[in-house]
Amino acid sequence: MNPENLTCREIEPDLVAVAAGEAGASAARGVERHVGVCRGCRDELARYRVLEGMVADLRRAPMAGADPTLARAELESRLADIRSRMVAYGIFSSPLGKLLIVRSELGVSMVRYIDSERAARSHLARLAGDEAVEDKSAVEGTYRELLDYLNARSTRLSWPLDLRWAGSDFQRRVLAATAQLPYGAITSYAGIARRIGEPASVRAVAQALRHNPIPIAIPCHRVIGSSGDLTGYAGSKIGLKERLLSLEGVPVGLRAHRIERDNMYVLFEGYTEYCLPTCGSLSQEPMAQLTLFGSRRHAEAVGLTACSSCRPDLHPLSA
Amino acid sequence: MVRDMTEDPFESVVAAHHAEIHRYLVRATSRPSDADDLSQETFVRAYKAYRSLPPDANVRAWLFAIATNLSRNHFRAEGRRRQAMVMAAAGASERGSSWPEGEVIASQAGARIDRIVAALPLKQRLAFTMRKVHELNYGAIGESLDCSAESARAHVFQALRKIRRGLDDLDVVHTERQP
Repeated sequence: MNPENLTCREIEPDLVAVAAGEAGASAARGVERHVGVCRGCRDELARYRVLEGMVADLRRAPMAGADPTLARAELESRLADIRSRMVAYGIFSSPLGKLLIVRSELGVSMVRYIDSERAARSHLARLAGDEAVEDKSAVEGTYRELLDYLNARSTRLSWPLDLRWAGSDFQRRVLAATAQLPYGAITSYAGIARRIGEPASVRAVAQALRHNPIPIAIPCHRVIGSSGDLTGYAGSKIGLKERLLSLEGVPVGLRAHRIERDNMYVLFEGYTEYCLPTCGSLSQEPMAQLTLFGSRRHAEAVGLTACSSCRPDLHPLSA
Repeated sequence: MVRDMTEDPFESVVAAHHAEIHRYLVRATSRPSDADDLSQETFVRAYKAYRSLPPDANVRAWLFAIATNLSRNHFRAEGRRRQAMVMAAAGASERGSSWPEGEVIASQAGARIDRIVAALPLKQRLAFTMRKVHELNYGAIGESLDCSAESARAHVFQALRKIRRGLDDLDVVHTERQP
C-alpha cells in the first residue's frame, strides 16, 4: 500500500498540515506522492479538508449561551470601581528636591517631599497597595504646573484635589480652611482653629497640618505659630517652608525662622481693607484674628483695598 | 487643563476584545457562567497590568494568554475539567447512534465538533480553539500555554486527529462528493 518512504501512519501529520495549508514544500510533495498511490490516505486527506471547512464555520457560527452582554456590563462596573480606587504616581525632581506626585481620577491626592524613592514607594504601597501604579505620563501635567508655580511663573495651582488620604472629618475641615489662604498670606494655627469654629483645638490643627497629604497645593506653609515662629514643616524641612514663603513675597527672618508682624500688612478678620501693622490697636490684636500679607500686590490681588486711615498705599513698608 | 486620567485607553481594549475573549472562554470552559466570570477576571487583570505593557505589544495575544492561564488555573483548582467531560459525554450519548445525513450534516457538524472539542484534554482544546477558531499564530499560542510553538502546533494537530476520528460515522467525504 505504500511504495514511498513514509508509512500511512507516518504521513498522517503531514496530511493534517496540508489540509490546514501549513505544510512545508517537502512535506507537501511527500503527501502528493503518497496519496497518488494510496487511496486510503487520499480519502483521509479529503476528510481533513472537509474538516477544515467545518472548523472554519465555527468562527462564524453563533454559540449557544455565548452572549457576552451581561458579562460585559458587570465588567464595566467592576472596572469603574477599580478605576476609582486606582492612583497613578511619578517621582520627579524639583527646586525643592525630589517629589512624589500622586493622582486619582478625581484629582491630585498626594504631593510628598522624599529623601528616598524606595521609602516613598513603600509608603504609597502601604496606603494604596497594588492600586498605586507608577505612570509618569499620567502625572506629568500636574508636575509641569507645579514647576511653573515653584519657578514663580504662576501663583495658582487650580488642581482638583482628592482628599482620600485625609484621616478624619476634622482634618478635612482644617485642610479646606487652609486651602482658602490666598497666595502671599499668612495666618496662625490658632487662626485656622478659629476659622473652623474650634478655637480651642490649636494643637489638633497643627497635628492635622503636619499630616497634610497635599502640601504646596494645600498651603500649610502659610500657617505659622502665633508668636511668628515658622514652627515646623514636612518633618524637619523648615527651609522649604521659608523658600515657599519667600517665593510669595513674605519676608522671613532666615536665621531665626520667624516672621515679624512689623514687616507685614495686616487684614483684620471681617474687613475688606488692609492696614499697616501700626494702624490703630492692631498690634495688640491676637494673631488668630489676623491675616498677614508680605506685599500690597498680593493683598490687592484678592480684592482688598488700602485702609483709608493708615494709608499703606502712601506709606508702604520698606522691603 | 488636566486631561491625564480622564480618558482611559483601556476602554477601547475592552470594546475591541471582550466579545472574542468571552467566546474563547465559552469553549475553553464549556460553561457560559464560567466564561462570564473568567472573562471579567481576564480584563480586570489586564487593566491592572496594562500601563506596564510595552507600547508595541500584541494586546490581543496578551489577553488570550491571560484568559488561557485563568482557564488552566480554573480547572486545576476546581477539578471541573472532569465534570465538563462527563457532561460532554452525556450530551454525546443522548444523540444516540443515528445521525442526520446530507445537508443537515453541515449544520449539525458544528455542534458535534463543539462537543468533541469540549471533551479534549485541556491543552489540546485551548490550542485548537486559539488556532482554529481565533486564528492566533503558534508562537502566541505557545506563549499562552508555556510551551514552544512546535508543541503548540502538535497540540492542535492532535486535536484535529481526534475530531476527525470523532466524526467517523459522518461520511463527510462522501457527502462532499455528492453532486
